[in-house]
Amino acid sequence: MIMKNMRRLVSILMMAVLPAWGGTVNFLFNQHATQNLFQTKDAVADQISIFSLTLDHDFSALSFLAKAEYSAFNQTSGMSFFTADLGFDYLVTAGPKSAFYFAAGGAGEFYRQTYDAFSSLGANLLGAFKTYLVPSSILKLQWQGQYAVYKDSLFDFLSQTAALSIDKYFPTRTTLKADAEYGYKYFLHPYMPEPAEPILATILMSAGGPGGQGLSGTGNGESGGGWGGRQYQGGYGFIPRYSSEGGGAGIGHVSASLLAAQGIGDVIGLSASAVRQWIVSGENPFLSIEEFYFVQNPSSDSFSWDGYQLNGRITLNLPWDVALKTGYTYSDKTYPGVESMGLDGVPLGVVRNDLRHLLDARLQKDFRRFSVFLAYSYVDNTSTDPLFTWKSNYIMGGIEWNLPTGRKGGV
Amino acid sequence: MRYRIAVVSILAALAVISVAGQTSAPFYNVDKEVRIEATVREIILEPRYKGTAPFLVLRVEESGSAKAFNVEIAPSWFFGQDVHGGEKVKIVGSLAETPGSVPTIIARELMLRGETFKLRDKHGFPSWQGGPKRNRGPRRFGSS
Repeated sequence: MIMKNMRRLVSILMMAVLPAWGGTVNFLFNQHATQNLFQTKDAVADQISIFSLTLDHDFSALSFLAKAEYSAFNQTSGMSFFTADLGFDYLVTAGPKSAFYFAAGGAGEFYRQTYDAFSSLGANLLGAFKTYLVPSSILKLQWQGQYAVYKDSLFDFLSQTAALSIDKYFPTRTTLKADAEYGYKYFLHPYMPEPAEPILATILMSAGGPGGQGLSGTGNGESGGGWGGRQYQGGYGFIPRYSSEGGGAGIGHVSASLLAAQGIGDVIGLSASAVRQWIVSGENPFLSIEEFYFVQNPSSDSFSWDGYQLNGRITLNLPWDVALKTGYTYSDKTYPGVESMGLDGVPLGVVRNDLRHLLDARLQKDFRRFSVFLAYSYVDNTSTDPLFTWKSNYIMGGIEWNLPTGRKGGV
Repeated sequence: MRYRIAVVSILAALAVISVAGQTSAPFYNVDKEVRIEATVREIILEPRYKGTAPFLVLRVEESGSAKAFNVEIAPSWFFGQDVHGGEKVKIVGSLAETPGSVPTIIARELMLRGETFKLRDKHGFPSWQGGPKRNRGPRRFGSS
């Protein structure tokens, strides 16, 4: 009886709260399947289910966002994780053709025990300015700062990026856009204390040969569980550097990109873009890094590489609210400070360089209240580190349900 | 009894909150829905309704007739999508009764660069919060 009343109460409260909320409730369910979760030569297949709930509400020019998401891994359940985000943003007009945008927020990522070292808490600040120089040309400036602390403090960092972009639309339905960015990431204490035995001996002992188990996870005395995928087949696991001096380490980059987009009729959109990024200060503080499918790895991100990326994309706007987007990306990335290693774990004396081909396609159908999509990706990665020479197919499908609770009038 | 009083109080409070924010904004009238093809002449960001973020408004010129319209898009969309002067657009929306010589259309669908943006549902209820708005700025806090 009590349970029945509680269910009724929850239903009534939900019905009452949603109109009162006056914003949007968004439910999302995605199902992913990958042949290579750890993105190494020793492929490990897995399926991932993602459940997400987002609440969004405007208070005049101030917006509030809250999001909770759970990702469940079918085979390697020790990697399942929960994330929570809270944020505010604020829009200020500066005349009829310009505006400032500010955002602040906090986030938490909480992994199960196997990946606990990657659990983190972070804060983020963003400021942006957008103005129309003329009706057909837009100038944007943006700064973003971020701070995060991890369960394993080796990954703790501060970062900032500043970006500028300008575009121009031509009557031929062509858009040209140029971007420039400066970014700097500072790891607060990325080094392990110097061990008694030589570093090479430590690596050889712990690498464990092909598909080895990576560096023994003594950690820094805080994690207890080691790092990354070292407990699974298919990875060295993350390998830190040792230093008797300790201290922090920074890596800075500048990048420039160009984009050209062309509309053809009402149905076809074409675009091509190129990005060149240069590391201008410092290097990666870790000896070996990994990237994983769908798991944010703090040792490998947009700050880590020097090189270029080319992209081509076609968008088809089909009848019955169906859209098809497909693209190809080629990248050539070098990771300064990161050594290529043989499968036996011995350094090869070459800085790691990866060449990657990525094909992707996404088919989406929009209904009145929800959208469904099916997506496919194929990656072919060649690396100077043989462990990271791999290929994989990815398939994703999902449903996204928006429940706007605004009013029918002007707003 | 206390339990029921508490429930009633919560529901009453929520109902008051939901009504408190409402304004006498122009209504989306499905009987006055129009469909036009036009060229964007100007893009402005201006306050339209009390208690909401400024709206993105397109000043457009209808193809063929050269008639001018103000097209009300959505609040805060300014940062999420880059609409340019000179771009061809197709708009489905409701003609609103607003003061001024240039008629206003409350947009329900905007077709731009081969992509259709659904701003409201067929009954005129806003859907931008769950749609384009999420592209408004980086919202994935805590990510690198």
